[in-house]
Amino acid sequence: MTDNPMVCGTDHCITCGDDADPMTVLALDSVRGLALCVAEDGRRMSVETALVEPLEVGDVVLVHAGAAIARGAAA
Amino acid sequence: MKYVDEFRDAELGRALAGEILSLVEPGRHYKVMEVCGGHTHSIYKYGVDDLLPANVELVHGPGCPVCVVPMGRVDDGIALAHGEGVIFTCFGDMMRVPGSDGSLLDAKADGADVRMVYSPLDALRIAKQNPDREVVFFAIGFETTAPSTALTLKRARAEGVENFSCMCSHVTIVPPLRALLESPDLRLDGFIGPGHVSTIVGARPFEFIPADYGKPVAIAGFEPLDILQAILIILRQLAQGRCEVENQYKRVVPYEGNLRALEVMAEVFELRPHFEWRGLGFISHSGLRISPTYAEFDAERRFSVPGVRVADPKACQCGEVLKGVIKPWECKVFGTACTPERPIGTCMVSSEGACAAYYNYGRFAREREVV
Repeated sequence: MTDNPMVCGTDHCITCGDDADPMTVLALDSVRGLALCVAEDGRRMSVETALVEPLEVGDVVLVHAGAAIARGAAA
Repeated sequence: MKYVDEFRDAELGRALAGEILSLVEPGRHYKVMEVCGGHTHSIYKYGVDDLLPANVELVHGPGCPVCVVPMGRVDDGIALAHGEGVIFTCFGDMMRVPGSDGSLLDAKADGADVRMVYSPLDALRIAKQNPDREVVFFAIGFETTAPSTALTLKRARAEGVENFSCMCSHVTIVPPLRALLESPDLRLDGFIGPGHVSTIVGARPFEFIPADYGKPVAIAGFEPLDILQAILIILRQLAQGRCEVENQYKRVVPYEGNLRALEVMAEVFELRPHFEWRGLGFISHSGLRISPTYAEFDAERRFSVPGVRVADPKACQCGEVLKGVIKPWECKVFGTACTPERPIGTCMVSSEGACAAYYNYGRFAREREVV
């Protein structure tokens, strides 16, 4: 369907699969409650931060369907 | 990658498999259901089941959000997508789910403006870019996805976006589990609990399973060692005569869940009295709809939705697969008339569907070989 791994492809639909993708916060827009995040493979997307605030640049969050649903795995 | 590599360690995997083997009573057959489609996918991707003793059977549950969408709901979506001036948005796998007369992808080929999005936020962005069009988002998924939809509707209101609405088909995980536990044709010994749903709802909602039905639950992550460890937890409880909810996925899942997510869901959604599940029929209080306080974003109120009810195709046995009564390859049309390229049933659509997982990883028509 698409070669862009950011969106759902024929092999695996991250959103439909209840997957959550670990991403790192690159920049924060605290007024709008959004963060620009980057995945391990370099993909970037805007993410809702309301469920895990407060965040700082460099934090790792688990992202599902465009929302950060949890902070990155604690040791 | 941290938190990934160490959960794919082959040596540790073999050690866990050895521990599992030591706990299994010869002559007893164990049936463990993995609730989440993500687990099903991981099990076959990594061959986790090949590491298990022959008398430990994994049963695939109803936790693939695409697989449980009934045909009539797809038809409703297609009817909306053909509406005048409508841009219909949905997640990727949802586009391929067959309705009674084709899929949303077919509707797109017929001229409907159907667009794939990765998140409800993307759908809202499309609405803002197309103020003269009506943008409808087909919201599917369990509690993992519902908070994202809720946040987007709150954002739409805050930003004054009036041409955006949502056809809400979100579902909740506990009612179908209770329905399965009440089912007379299914005898299960324990459950691998859904990791990312539990990130939102926590571990507490699963306490009824040991309390009311005497079955262990291990909430698990999605790496192969997570799943093996969850099976070990369940078998250990059975061996010790215990049953409780144990959280294997503590690195992500707090016992109480994400309270902010639960609050935003309670604000934006309300429970439907009944909701139809593919193969499982109507289950009380198992689906979410948009609450009256957000009525202006409810596509079912804004547009005329047929609300059709369509029986599943006779040849398709998705219902029995979803209930774990039969294995995918036991279905009459598996791998012949029904393939990932031309699915008849929803379980063959999403890679989280049990049938697609079996098909894609070569489990066509055989029992697991003993290791």
